[in-house]
Amino acid sequence: MAFSRRNFLKFAAMSAGGAVLADTPFISAEARAKAEGGNVKYVPTSCEMCFWKCGAIAKVVDGKVVKLEGNPYHPQSRGKLCARGQGGIGQLYDEDRLKHPMILEGKRGEGKYRKASWDEALDYVAKKMKAIAAKHGPEAIAMMSHGSSGDYITNVLKAMGSRNIAFPSFAQCKGIRDEAWLLTYGHKPGSSCEQVDLENSRVIVLIGTHLGENMHNSQNQEFAEAVGRGAKIICVDPRYSTAASKSSFWLPIKPGTDTALLLAWINIVISEELYDKEYVEKYTVGLEEVKEAVKKYTPEWAAQETELPMRQIIESVHELCRYAPNVVVHPGRHYSWYGNDTQRARAVAILNALLGTWGRKGGMWLPPKAKFAKFNDGAPAYPPASKPPLIRGDFPFAGGAGVTQVLRDATITGNPYPIKAWFVAGTNLMKALPNQEKTQDAIDNLDLLVAVDIMPTETVMLADVILPECTYLERHDGLYKIKTREAGVAIRQPAVEPMYETKPAWWIGSELCKKLGLDQYAVKGNGMDAWEGRMRRQAKAWGIDFDKLSKDTGYVTIPGSERPYITADNQPFFDTFSEKINLYSEALEEEGFDPVPQYEEVEQPPKDMFRLIYGRSPVHTFSRTINTQWLWELQKENEVWLNKKEAKRLGVKNGQYVRLENQDGMRCNKIKAKVTERIRHDCVYMVHGFGHNAPQMTRADGSGADDQKLITKYIEDPITGGTGMRVNFVKIIKEA
Amino acid sequence: MPRYAMVIDQSRCIGCMACVVACKRENDVPPEHYRTRVLEMVQGTFPDLTTEMRSELCNHCDKAPCVNICPTGASHHEEDGTVQIDRKKCVGCKACITSCPYNARHINKELGVADKCTFCQHRLIEGKKPACVATCVGGSRIFGDLDDPNSEISVLLRKTSHRVLKKSIGTGPNVYYINQYPTRS
Amino acid sequence: MELSITGTNAITYPVVHVWDWRVAIYLFLGGLAGGLMTMSAINYLRPGKKCGPMQSVCCWQIPVLAPILLSIGLFFLWLDLERKLHGHLFYMTFKPLSPMSWGAWIVLIIYPLMILYALAALPDEVKVRIKNAFIKNTADALAPHLAKLAKFNLVFGVLLAIYTGILLSTFVARPLWNSAILPLLFLASGMSTGAAVMIIVAKNKEVKLFFTKLDIWLILGELLIIALLFYGHYTGDAAHQAAIMPFFNSSHDTFPYFLSIVTIGIVLPLAIVMKFLEVTGKHTDEVTGFGLFLMNSSAVLVLIGGAVIRFALVYAGQLSGYGYVMM
Ligand SMILES: Nc1nc2c(c(=O)[nH]1)N[C@H]1C(S)=C(S)[C@@H](COP(=O)(O)OP(=O)(O)OC[C@H]3O[C@@H](n4cnc5c(=O)[nH]c(N)nc54)[C@H](O)[C@@H]3O)O[C@H]1N2
Ligand SMILES: Nc1nc2c(c(=O)[nH]1)N[C@H]1C(S)=C(S)[C@@H](COP(=O)(O)OP(=O)(O)OC[C@H]3O[C@@H](n4cnc5c(=O)[nH]c(N)nc54)[C@H](O)[C@@H]3O)O[C@H]1N2
Ligand code: SF4
Ligand code: SF4
Ligand code: SF4
Ligand code: SF4
Ligand code: SF4
Ligand SMILES: [Mo]
Repeated sequence: MAFSRRNFLKFAAMSAGGAVLADTPFISAEARAKAEGGNVKYVPTSCEMCFWKCGAIAKVVDGKVVKLEGNPYHPQSRGKLCARGQGGIGQLYDEDRLKHPMILEGKRGEGKYRKASWDEALDYVAKKMKAIAAKHGPEAIAMMSHGSSGDYITNVLKAMGSRNIAFPSFAQCKGIRDEAWLLTYGHKPGSSCEQVDLENSRVIVLIGTHLGENMHNSQNQEFAEAVGRGAKIICVDPRYSTAASKSSFWLPIKPGTDTALLLAWINIVISEELYDKEYVEKYTVGLEEVKEAVKKYTPEWAAQETELPMRQIIESVHELCRYAPNVVVHPGRHYSWYGNDTQRARAVAILNALLGTWGRKGGMWLPPKAKFAKFNDGAPAYPPASKPPLIRGDFPFAGGAGVTQVLRDATITGNPYPIKAWFVAGTNLMKALPNQEKTQDAIDNLDLLVAVDIMPTETVMLADVILPECTYLERHDGLYKIKTREAGVAIRQPAVEPMYETKPAWWIGSELCKKLGLDQYAVKGNGMDAWEGRMRRQAKAWGIDFDKLSKDTGYVTIPGSERPYITADNQPFFDTFSEKINLYSEALEEEGFDPVPQYEEVEQPPKDMFRLIYGRSPVHTFSRTINTQWLWELQKENEVWLNKKEAKRLGVKNGQYVRLENQDGMRCNKIKAKVTERIRHDCVYMVHGFGHNAPQMTRADGSGADDQKLITKYIEDPITGGTGMRVNFVKIIKEA
Repeated sequence: MPRYAMVIDQSRCIGCMACVVACKRENDVPPEHYRTRVLEMVQGTFPDLTTEMRSELCNHCDKAPCVNICPTGASHHEEDGTVQIDRKKCVGCKACITSCPYNARHINKELGVADKCTFCQHRLIEGKKPACVATCVGGSRIFGDLDDPNSEISVLLRKTSHRVLKKSIGTGPNVYYINQYPTRS
Repeated sequence: MELSITGTNAITYPVVHVWDWRVAIYLFLGGLAGGLMTMSAINYLRPGKKCGPMQSVCCWQIPVLAPILLSIGLFFLWLDLERKLHGHLFYMTFKPLSPMSWGAWIVLIIYPLMILYALAALPDEVKVRIKNAFIKNTADALAPHLAKLAKFNLVFGVLLAIYTGILLSTFVARPLWNSAILPLLFLASGMSTGAAVMIIVAKNKEVKLFFTKLDIWLILGELLIIALLFYGHYTGDAAHQAAIMPFFNSSHDTFPYFLSIVTIGIVLPLAIVMKFLEVTGKHTDEVTGFGLFLMNSSAVLVLIGGAVIRFALVYAGQLSGYGYVMM
């Protein structure tokens, strides 16, 4: 698993020039081992401090991970890791980790557990599952999941005949955007990462998307590269974000009015004939309809609606058009803002199409061309769902990743059929889903709640059975298909043995299958290297050299898969009914939605209240890293950003602790006020993820405030089911 | 012998703090202590704001007050132009910490010795870049040899206007700052 | 400006606080020890002294006290070391550019001078009580060289007192200290505290009066130098100007510094007035109870003033700097 001297030399010879090597952490592994007099090895693996899945290389000395570095061959990391990736060791050696399986004693929420063996815990879970399936049918067992661990548990549910599986990454995140782009281009704007060619962009438009704080590694590398090269950044954000600080145009837009801006831009682009005529002619349908539909969205009107100077609106889009098509309007990622978000995403998609960015240098690269053979290791097909899954609710364009809150609602109401068990794997539902009371209500209705996690979070400590997974540095996971400009395959493999009695999720899922009598879905082979064997077979099926992947490079590319730009012999394929880019969407029209986005006003905060908006800290991932020593140290609590004039009016001083109370009377933990010029007067901002209510997470517990607690209200996007969460208003209460 | 220096392109720093964590892990810097930091300075009033991002570390000064003051010779210059601390010689008198105009030093409480950025000398010996440079997501930290006229930093320093921090104190820093802010309209 | 810094160390942020009361005590006692060396030598060497041979009457205790106080001072300095068991490292090398190194080595020269002087100054009635023959014999042998030793002590006392100021004044990073006037201040203060202790310890009225008079001049000098130090900073660059601000700002954060300057401003002039009263008053041969009180309490005021100066400068000096944001 470690890099051998021989491999290193072989590899060194392969890479051209010394430039890469100077940064290659695996050079001179041996020399370094000697110099340090210890037992050093380097293990290539994949980071899971967030979902960007960068290639990481773990330096292991005497069985301890001492350093993590970026894999230079992996296109998501390019030799670098972000702060969270660098801090991953802190997760591995977090003394607050879940250490052994636990079974609830007493009432849920009281937190009284008894230590159990794996055998006992899994028996317990299997018995309960069987009983629930017998009484209510297997579909009564549902699951919410995020991250790599879920896959192995979804396998169990599917094998039993339930498809009630949902991921917060859909309705609380990027699902909305993905559906909008599927409707427009027949493609998501990216799978492993957004297909934005930032590295080569002349102008980058960011609507919200707060790069610099939203710290997806390679995307930020490219963003900084663009800034360094002098690309123009147009940043639309009510807050002076890091990205805004790098921008030529900062448009401090009135929250919730972005679609007005986008439609006015589209209007200008079409009416002034600034669009890419050839491209639009060749690849799109519906220009005339769009032209008609956006006529009314004049710059004057937009200026009023968005509270931006008209000149800024016009000048910025002119700048954008001047450099088109080597420009990009970033498709964004977290999209569940106001409950009308699919149409905003559609507007972004349309604007990109008009500028001809799809398949153009500096715009959006075309997805790589690679086919991976189907591989299921000889497991039989899953039985059909016993009853139609609920996860799409009444939303015609809800995706297969499922709408979490629909599952939650069904659990509460028991309609259309009862849901009696939840598996929760790798998601902290109390933090991820809006309206915590509902989440609690749903959990109260369950006969069984099983958590597969690594930390004793607030959600985990509600479970009946806690199954402790080992961290990403201690386990194998699937071979990852990586789709950046090129297609490739990456690996996750253990740098060290699992600590305590923790186990990898693949093992947990596999053992559970066996307990349920579903052996045919269990991983073939026995023991802890069974998964590695499966990976080898998968690699073989994909035609990949597993040894090179696991011992040398941690990533291998699929040669010839990279065809990023449109050329005569590389034409884009649009997987839509028209096989073109749908500026005008008939599919939406058929379901009774606007075929061309129309502007919808959102409710504004009443007097003396502020809209609550939120975002990311570059050193944390949601709620999952707050307890991680090296990251906690950098940021122990979040702050609430408050406009300076407003603060003065309210008599709030910088650094003073305050509480926020929302329209429903819900109050958050105390939180420090950041009194700043960097935000509009009508909203307050905080970083999501803080304010844990998890006493066993000794560092994170109680530090900072939880935005989710204040998000009691959410508006569902009628097209996709995304939960608009920036619709809550708060007032500020000074701490005595 | 090389003469090592760092160039920091402030325009490319995105405040990701990867450098800060990488440095801590690479060099086993104890909890709550740091060898490098990142400053974010915002000026102006809404909506006319400007920002300066600046990562800072030991400047490996040519005329280093910390070396002069050190009574035991623990703080010293090396042939590669860096300022280093010989932990075996340090008594922990802290004079060097007080003497550094850049507040670049601290006490490693676990060892009782003065500590600061080493330019990751142990990595340089192996032909690697310093940990913070290797992982700098923004590509803001650039490292190299001033004696090599073709090194990236030599070229950069010839091509761009640059400055050092607190120049007037006369310490002769070897961390150079360049700034290529895009123009704002 | 909205400033946020990630990755600061408590020892240097938001302000430097590397050295504390331990170092202040060291500087105070170091200066005092220097003052005592010089003052007792002056006492012995001054022409027209009326108290007879030093060995018998004239405060022989002072030369003994000096090395003890220096040792206590050094003990506090040692307490400040992070690696207390590695003190010997000071003596593994000599660094000509390091005032710290100088300090370490100077002590090695000063100690023997102090001790030889103390032995030589022992009066017979003390010597008879010494059991150790070696010490007794050495003391006897040294007695004839008392004058020579006194001269050396006079010079090295000055050096020791001035050194404590030089040490701080070399810190270019700390503008408050970084002034050539600081060594003079520490010299004047060291000497004046030395004189104060002479006054307290001496039995002989004539000696007391002599040092009372001398101290008036020393304190006047000290006050003048303080004024010059502040004036120098006031007319200096921004960092030097900012460095003295804590002393003139009575806000919550800087109140101790404000208080220290007020204390000095009251204590030292008051001491002068008291001494003046004493010197100009009518005198009998015997020291009156009130006169004794006046002299001793003014001496105590001087000691307080000297200590306050050290503490204030040690702490305020670390507040001063070239800032985090300054270019
Ligand atoms: N460090 C770090 N990076 C991460 C993550 C993390 O946890 N930590 N999570 C990752 C994930 S899963 C996601 S989905 C992404 C999310 O990151 P993004 O997709 O960038 O999220 P957004 O909500 O678009 O951006 C938040 C910004 O939107 C601004 N904003 C708020 N309301 C409005 C509005 O009405 N209009 C406009 N124009 N702007 C508004 C806020 O001020 C804030 O700056 O981040 C990813 N990157
Ligand atoms: N208010 C508000 N709500 C939001 C967001 C927001 O910005 N504000 N963001 C939304 C977005 S974009 C997203 S993507 C979601 C994210 O929602 P989640 O993915 O639920 O995010 P976290 O809160 O980080 O919870 C992650 C959980 O996974 C656990 N975990 C970490 N590593 C592992 C592992 O290796 N194995 C296992 N089994 N568990 C692990 C952690 O302990 C934690 O319990 O939240 C959404 N909800
Ligand atoms: S972006 Fe950072 S946390 Fe996410 S996978 Fe990459 S290195 Fe890890
Ligand atoms: S920056 Fe400070 S610690 Fe570094 S060499 Fe200069 S004076 Fe010494
Ligand atoms: S703390 Fe150590 S390195 Fe610093 S001056 Fe003292 S002995 Fe030298
Ligand atoms: S060069 Fe090394 S020691 Fe210095 S700041 Fe960077 S990582 Fe830290
Ligand atoms: S790693 Fe680079 S870009 Fe990130 S904060 Fe440090 S210097 Fe700035
Ligand atoms: Mo997300």
